[in-house]
Amino acid sequence: MLELNNLSKRYGSLEALHDLSFTVNPGEIFGFVGANGAGKTTTMRVVLGVLEADSGSVIWDGSPITFAVRRRIGYIPEDRGLYPKMTVIAQLEYFGQLHGLTRGAARGASTALLERLGLADRAKSQLQSLSHGNQQRVQLAAALVFSPELLVLDEPFAGLDPVAVDAMTEVLRAEAGAGKPVVLSSHQLDIVERICDRVGIINHGQMVTTGTVRELTERGPVRFWVDAPSAGAGWYDSVTGTTLVEQDGSRWLLQFEDGADEQAVLRTALATGPVHEFRRDRPALTQLFRDVMSGEAIDE
Amino acid sequence: MNSRAVIRVIAAREFMARIRTRVFAITTVLTVIAIAAYILLQAYVFNKSAPSLDVGFVGAAQSIAAPVRAEAAALGETITIHPYASAAAGQADLQSGTLDALVSGSGASTTVTVRSAVDPTLQTALNDQARQQVLTENLTQHGLSPSGVEGQLAFSVSVNELSPVNAARIEQIVIGLLVAGTLYVTLIIYGQLVAAGVIEEKSNRIVEILLATVRPWQLMLGKITGIGLVALVQVVLVAGVALVLASATKLVSIPTLGVDVVISGVVWFVLGYLIYALLFAAAGSMVSRQEDVSSVALPVILVLVAGWIIALTVAAPDPGSTATTVFSFIPFMSPVIMPVRIAAGVAPFWQVAISVVLAIATIYILAAVAGRIYRNSVLRVGGRVKFSDALGLAPSRDRVV
Repeated sequence: MLELNNLSKRYGSLEALHDLSFTVNPGEIFGFVGANGAGKTTTMRVVLGVLEADSGSVIWDGSPITFAVRRRIGYIPEDRGLYPKMTVIAQLEYFGQLHGLTRGAARGASTALLERLGLADRAKSQLQSLSHGNQQRVQLAAALVFSPELLVLDEPFAGLDPVAVDAMTEVLRAEAGAGKPVVLSSHQLDIVERICDRVGIINHGQMVTTGTVRELTERGPVRFWVDAPSAGAGWYDSVTGTTLVEQDGSRWLLQFEDGADEQAVLRTALATGPVHEFRRDRPALTQLFRDVMSGEAIDE
Repeated sequence: MNSRAVIRVIAAREFMARIRTRVFAITTVLTVIAIAAYILLQAYVFNKSAPSLDVGFVGAAQSIAAPVRAEAAALGETITIHPYASAAAGQADLQSGTLDALVSGSGASTTVTVRSAVDPTLQTALNDQARQQVLTENLTQHGLSPSGVEGQLAFSVSVNELSPVNAARIEQIVIGLLVAGTLYVTLIIYGQLVAAGVIEEKSNRIVEILLATVRPWQLMLGKITGIGLVALVQVVLVAGVALVLASATKLVSIPTLGVDVVISGVVWFVLGYLIYALLFAAAGSMVSRQEDVSSVALPVILVLVAGWIIALTVAAPDPGSTATTVFSFIPFMSPVIMPVRIAAGVAPFWQVAISVVLAIATIYILAAVAGRIYRNSVLRVGGRVKFSDALGLAPSRDRVV
């Protein structure tokens, strides 16, 4: 388990991180979302030890993280970087060896990984001759070649087409399925919503909120969509605490105050005739993200 | 995984990535050609074949023909004598180019006719022999025996050389300069390759992944070691070619090139390379783009150039001088100056030992300072990192651990 406790970091007058804490459990994909400059990359660099925090701690399995543990982290930095003129296979072998694999083991792991990522036929190509998407796959391979215990991926989906996103997702799910914590940051909230088990929203260096996607989207007001073609205006008035938010043809979006009984609303709707839809309205993460950001802006 | 293993992996990558490049092949070939050209030129200058002249002698002038030929031969020139009965026939052959010079008259009226310029050796021989002829005539007229007087004159002033410059000594200086020159060129080329390599990793951002895995000093030392091994391969190749050529052209005989000179050349290469590679690595880490490398590398290059100029102007002319001795102790200069002294055979062992110890101490200090600059600079992208920030003297803004 990876724990970040009360991390703070200043660059001169800019406070990049302020008392930031979160936890990533084994087998969990944690999505780290925030605007540009919110502190995502700084946080990841602190975890990797590439940067030093001014205060706070990074804890791995109950003890402060050490250089030896950090070397077991698979890392994709925000600024991608590999040797353009090295072949794909030589590059992966190099990273495998740097992480302590023998030459033979590094070669075996590299070959297997290229097979898995669909790059086996490009093994002997120079990196610079590969398409952008394939270079990204090699970058992922470089982070995985030594069988890391933890993955830290800064914007792993940036610049990927939908097919490549699916391939990347599949690999990350498999890694998490093997019990590894996975931390990733992304701007693509639809992807985060789809693949992350838990999400943290960071703004101005502070963790604004964390939780599962479901928890986050249920934090707003309770709203239900009801599609009842036979119902007339004000059919829901008999149920206390119910107000209309929006009507779209035969579909009604109702908001329930605390304590309102949604089953009573359903029975009332059924009493008017057929009900085609009765569904909890969950805002997309994108909407939630906007709400959080604008909320923060107001708070300041 | 211990540091040595990490450094070995990094160094192996550097070595393999560079030994196969076109730059390596081109610089090796060019250096070999330059050294070969230098040696062949030296051989040409030293062993220039003696010129051969066709000289016509008209009438009475024929009496000095044989002595002139003998004196010219003693001075290293071959003269072929062509006797002529009349000046006209000689003039014709001179005009047509069959003759190089035509001598006529005798005694004080001896005249040599040439197309443009007279060969200095021939002129000297003619002057001597014409005067001799006049002297002999005068002595005979005064009743003296020319051979008796000549016997008394057959002496030379004794020469007492306090520090003789012999052929072996020149040979030693040539070897010393060859060793120092090879080191100088190699240090310049490979030092800049180190700087460029550091910037390359910085500009393509691979350094961040690397530093998530290895310590900055391990990365720096691995890079320096790998590039240094490539340089060593090149130095050995170039030195081998130079030795074979120099030996083949008889300019340098292998026995005078002692094993001590070869070994000390390698030792000084390693010491000099470590000193300068550390400086170049630190300099390279302070900028982010290849275009900026010259601005930070220039001060380092200037120190190296100064060392080479001193090697050429102070050490080579007088390897035993006090000035040379002093410079051969200064760590940034010693790698290109001490080899000249060692080759000249004027460096006592204790002086070499002190100089080596000073160089090693410098390497230790530089490793700490360069490592610090590298660590503080290598993850900073953008403009040139300020020196105070690089040394970590200013309050840390973005300290890298």
